Formats: sequence, structure tokens, C-alpha cells
Amino acid sequence: MDGSARERGSLRLSRGTRRRQRLAAAAGQLFLLAVTSLSALAVFAIFYFIARDAIPFFRLEGFKEFFTSTRWYPSAEQAEFGALAIFVGSGLVTLGAALVAVPLGIAAAVCLSDVLPFSARQVVKPVIEMLAAIPSVAYGFFALVVLAPLLQRSGGPVLAAAAWIVGAPVAALLAFILSDLLADRFPERAQRRARWAFLILLGSGAVAALSVAGRALSGLEIPSGTNALNVSLILGIMALPTVVSVSEDALQAAGRELREGSYALGATRAETLLRTILPAARSGILAAVILGIMRAIGETMVVWMASGNASQIPEPWYNLLEPVRTLTATIAGDMGEADHVTGSARYHVLFAMALCLLTVSFLCNLGSEWVLRRTRRKAGG
Amino acid sequence: MSLPTRKILDRAFSGAGVLAIALMAAALLILLVPMFTRGSQAVFFRATVEHRRFLLEKFERGDRAAIEAEIQAAQAARAPVWRLVADFESRLAEGEAAGRGKYRKPLKELRNELRFLLGPEPGKPRPMLMRDQYGQTRLDMAQLGLERVLRREEWDYSDPTKGGIRILKPRAEDFEGTALAELFPYVEKNFARMLLPRRTVYWGFLTDESFDSHFFGGIWPEILGTFYLTLGTLLLAVPMGLIAAIYLTEYAKETRFLALLRTCINTLAGVPSIVFGLFGLAFFINVAHVSPSKSVLAGSMTLALMILPTVIRASEEAIKAVPRAYKEAALSLGAGRWHTVWNVILPAALPGILTGIVISMGRAAGETAPIIFTAAVSVGKPLAPWQTLTQPTPALSWNIYNLATEHEAVDLVRHVQYGLVLTLVCLVLLLNLLAIFLRARIARKMRN
Repeated sequence: MDGSARERGSLRLSRGTRRRQRLAAAAGQLFLLAVTSLSALAVFAIFYFIARDAIPFFRLEGFKEFFTSTRWYPSAEQAEFGALAIFVGSGLVTLGAALVAVPLGIAAAVCLSDVLPFSARQVVKPVIEMLAAIPSVAYGFFALVVLAPLLQRSGGPVLAAAAWIVGAPVAALLAFILSDLLADRFPERAQRRARWAFLILLGSGAVAALSVAGRALSGLEIPSGTNALNVSLILGIMALPTVVSVSEDALQAAGRELREGSYALGATRAETLLRTILPAARSGILAAVILGIMRAIGETMVVWMASGNASQIPEPWYNLLEPVRTLTATIAGDMGEADHVTGSARYHVLFAMALCLLTVSFLCNLGSEWVLRRTRRKAGG
Repeated sequence: MSLPTRKILDRAFSGAGVLAIALMAAALLILLVPMFTRGSQAVFFRATVEHRRFLLEKFERGDRAAIEAEIQAAQAARAPVWRLVADFESRLAEGEAAGRGKYRKPLKELRNELRFLLGPEPGKPRPMLMRDQYGQTRLDMAQLGLERVLRREEWDYSDPTKGGIRILKPRAEDFEGTALAELFPYVEKNFARMLLPRRTVYWGFLTDESFDSHFFGGIWPEILGTFYLTLGTLLLAVPMGLIAAIYLTEYAKETRFLALLRTCINTLAGVPSIVFGLFGLAFFINVAHVSPSKSVLAGSMTLALMILPTVIRASEEAIKAVPRAYKEAALSLGAGRWHTVWNVILPAALPGILTGIVISMGRAAGETAPIIFTAAVSVGKPLAPWQTLTQPTPALSWNIYNLATEHEAVDLVRHVQYGLVLTLVCLVLLLNLLAIFLRARIARKMRN
């Protein structure tokens, strides 16, 4: 204690010393609280200052055009600020990223938490950490300089190969399940033979379907390598670490007892995981998906460099092979020019976009927090 | 379902998981391999005599006598090329007008390509731009230059269903039957003698300034800029984050106010990085006026805000992981709360806190979007420490974007782009390695 040297000989402190100490402690705590609140205040400051510059836009141009028109000509004489195509672009690449990251991420998380032995896990963890650590601009550079020319030059064969790599295992699995389910309807004696027959039939059907799809894909010509597909792939890879680590935590949290109970009932590992653990960890996995999606929505550099930046709704809307433009890329790209015209609608529209982004990420955050808190309460009670 | 099928399905299920992890590892490999192989070529490459001439003239580096002898030899080997061109031109000037018209454009193109490959013609005034003062400094670029001297690119638009098709036409055909036709076999045969390529290790790539929009020199201003930004970010974010973490773990009571604080911090963690950049512009520069325009200080403040939640969370985790017994022992010895925190808990939590700091350092170093509007410029001199308060800086992350998309000749500075990417990735991965090492040490200590 501070006073101990001075007060040697008696354990009791004088009243003044005690008061001083108590005051110092209170002041110290207040200081800590102030600093902590400062970091919380930052969030409100961000909302305030973004909204402050966003509102003039809506006052100048109204809401309707911004949300419903696809005509984006901010620098034209008769400026038009229809951002619908940009919203669709953001949504499309996020959807594409989710299609890559969610199945892969959950499969990898299951494998990490329940399948791989401890030593293998020690090897895989750094891989995930490295994927998370690589800066987004490096991903963007890869998308622009390596992946885009590859897609443009030989996009068809690459897609066909990807279809085989992903499709073949899935088709084999489906063939197994279906043939078994179908064979169950046959009498006991014929079951084995029926299963083989169905397996061969379904298997060859799947191979035929895959090779037809592969041939169709390899004939595909991609006019530009900087498109929504490219960005979706890269964003998916970037979102993977988040999805994997959060859903692995959720799977771990499901507990040993559930697993042991299921095994005791004679379930295989796959059945245990699919029927017991995954449903139990459902909300944690949902949070993982939300957090992964947030990462994809907010990402700037990759989409700015490799999405093509064309403000148009693809035709049809799910056509990933067309270039798109996203909110983040628009902000990053247009601010350089709009900076000189501070106060114009062209400047404020970028803040309006940032406000939309901020709102979406805030809602996602609240959602994931709510989901996680519910899980924790359930696990606790 | 039958038992064998269930077993097969079980295997298949595990297989799907392993496949997912294998795909992930493959993705990492596919990402890193080109970065490392192409990136290392920024330092390890075959340099032509032009590279050595550049180093000698700009930095007085290398053995003057030897390099001058090399330059002499190269000039001697090039002399016939320039003589052929000059002869052809003078004969053209004497000849009839029709020939002049026919050869004027091909000759001009050829001259440009020769200058691109070999540098300025001897006896002409020294060009203004640095890129015109030297030929190609790297063998890979020189080979590209040779290709451009030998063959001309043409686009065939005859098939309207496809885009243009690239056709390479030998330039020798343009000059068939003239004296200049023998230039092409000569250039091809004496390529090595004219440029004298040699294996080189150019560490100066990391420590030299860049010249003439990154056509020459290294990336020192970018490295220094990233260093300043990261350092400034840490100086701002670590004290705040640490204090917040101490308050949240040791002092705060679980009230509704605390829940609100936590929600705020989580929200801050989820804000998209570009929004931070916009906020930095709107608040730090336009409202608070921390600097007249972009500056390292404004960028550091923006980045600090971005990594603050990470620092808080990591420090909280580390403080929570300190065994309860430490705290109880300190309190039972009569230490006050603050003494306990300062002398017992923080030292014990230090490695964990450092791990979090190191990881967020990597994030701050690699992030681009927040510094676009607040700190980054594409070309600049290395800054002195006091200039960081008012001046913007080039940075690794921003210049990767800038050189890969906005540079005037994107294809000609690929090696610089890859070099920047490799430097940044190595920096971030080394920081992460450090974090892994720290974590391993903590784990070992906990076990003992």
C-alpha cells in the first residue's frame, strides 16, 4: 500500500490518508471508465458523422431514385443517382461468397472439431490463421493479376475442372444414399443385388450428367475475367476463416455428453454429427454465417480491384459471369473525384451508401449477438 | 439403411470434411506460390548492364571501372544496330517520296522499340524521363523488349462473333529487301552481348527510393510509410485498448450500462473498413482538423479506431486467463486493487496481450480502405518522423492497389507490384508467426 512506508509501526491508517486513497481510487476508476466509454462513444460518433453527411443527399435528391433506379451517372450534367444496381451487385457477390464459404466452412469446422486427430488440427489451425491474416489488398491483387486473366483465357476448362472436383464426391455420395434407400424397398434376398444395380445405374447417370455439364462449361467463354464470379470466389475464401473458427467453437460448445449419448445409441460419427451435434450448435453456426457474410459485404479492396465496377444488374440477375459494382467499391472509387466537390450531391451520396452499409452491418452484428447470447443462455440453463 | 452403407456414408462424411480442409489449404497454396515466386524476383533476378549503369550513376554503387568497361562492350555490340538504322534513314531521305511514306511508320515504331530495349541512341541529347534514359534493366523485361523489336502485334477483327484475335507479325517482313532486314537476325543473335545479363541480388529493392513512378529503384518510402502508420496506430490503440480491457474485466460491475458498452465495442468491430475511412475523412480531417489534409496522423487515428475492438478483446481474454489464485494471493498480502492489477495481473497476462497486439498490428499494416482518404498517396519521398504529423505517405498496401490498377504502364512494373505484395505478406505472416510463438510459450508456461 502507498501509505505503508510512512505509517510503519501501526497498521491503522490515519483518516486523511484513507480519504486520500479512496479519492484516488475513485478518480482512477472514473478515468478508466472515461477511456472505456470513449471507445464506445466512437461508434456513436461514426454513426453521427456518417449520417450527418448522408442526410443532405436525401434532402437534395430524395429516396426514390436512390433505391429504385439503376441509372448511376453521378458526374453527368443531369446527374442521376440510381443505386439499385449497386445494391444488387453488393448482394450478388455476398451471396456468391456465402455459397463458397458456408458449405466449405461448416464442413471444415466439423472436420476440425470431430474428425481430425489433435496433431493434424495443430497443422490445420495455422493454415486458417494465415488465410485470415493475408491482407485484403493481397487477395485483390491475386484476383486481378492471377485469377482474372486465368478466367478470361481458359475460364471454361477451369470451371469444368472445378465442377468435377466438387461434383464428383457429391454425386457419389448421393448415389450411395439413393441406391440404399431404393434397395430398401426390395425383398431381403434381392436387396444386395438391387443396391449394386441402382448404384451402377445412378453412378453412370451422375457421370453422364457431370460430363455433359463439364462439356457445356468448358465451351463457355468469359468475356471479362474481372466479374462477380472472381470476386465471389475470393470473398468466399476470405470469409472462410471466420466461418470455420466461429462454427468450430459452436460445435465444441455442444458438449461431450451429447456426442457420447448418441454414440451409445449406436449412431455412427456422421449420424451423430448430422442429427445431434449440428442441430444443437445451430445458432452458433448461424452466427458464424452472419459474421462471414458481414466480412464479405464490408470488403473493399477485392471488389474494387476485381469486380469490373460496372453499374448494371446482370442478365439474368444470378449471372455471376458479368461484371458488377458494389457499395464499398463505389465509395472507394468515387471519393477521389467527389472530394473536390464537397457539399454536392455527388459527395453526399457516398455517405448515404456508407450509412446503408453501416446499418446492414449493425443489424447483422445485433443479430449474431442475439443468436450467440441465446445459445449461451441455453447452454447455461 | 444397411450397416455397410452407414459405414460408407460415415467415411464419406469424414471425407467431405477432409476435402473442405484440403481445398482450403490448396487455396492458401495457390495464393502464396505466385506471390513468393514472382515476388522474390524483385530482389533476385538477372540484371542487364543497364541496371548496373543505373546503380552507378544514381547511387555510385558498384565497381566503377568494371561497369564502365561493361558499358563500353555493350555499346560496341549495339553500334551496328544504330548504324543500320541511321544508314537506312539517310538513304530514305535521299530516296523517292513513295518509299519514305511506306517506311516512315514502321521505322518510327522500330526505333521506339529499340530505344525501349537498349536505351537512348548514342549521340542524341539525354532524354528528360528516366525511363527513356536507360534500356531494360531486367532480363525478363529485356526479353519482352526483344520480342517487341522482332514482332509487331496486330489485331484481327474480321470475325465479328469473337473479340479481336492477336496476331504477331515479324517486323523483318516490313523491311524485306532493304538493308535494314539484317538488323533483326543481328539483334536476336547478339541479344546477350548487347545487354550482358547477369544474376543479381538487389537488396536495394527494400531500401532504395523509387524513381520515375516506380520504373526504377525500390520501395523504401512504402515500407517506411507502413511502419509509421502501424507504429502510430499502436501508440494510439494499445493504451486505450488496455485501459478499456482492465476496466471491463477488473472494475466494471455487470450492469446494463456494461452490456451497452460491450455491444458498442462489438459493433465497432463489425464496421466495414471503408466506413472507417470515410469517418476518418469526415471527422478527423474535415471536422477535427488534426491535419490540413491527408496525413499519417489522421490515418493512424482511423486505423487505431479500427483495431481497438481487437485489442480490447484480446487483452480481456488474456486478463481473464490469469489464474484466480494470483489475484487472491496478491489481495491477501494486502495489495490494493490497482497494485494487484499493475504488479500481478498485467505481468502475468502480458504474453497474451502481446499476442493480441501483434495480430492487430498485422491487420493495421495490411489494411488499405481506411487510409485511402486519410493517409495514402501514391508517390512520395520517405518522411522524417516529425513530418508524419502533417504529411501523407505512400504505404505498401495502397501502392499495391495503385500500381496494379492506376499506374500508367501496369504491365511494365509487375515485378514491383509482386515485390510489394510479397513484402506486405511476409511482414504480416511474420507477425502472425510471432503471435503463434508467443502463444506456444504461454501454453508451455501454463502447463508447468
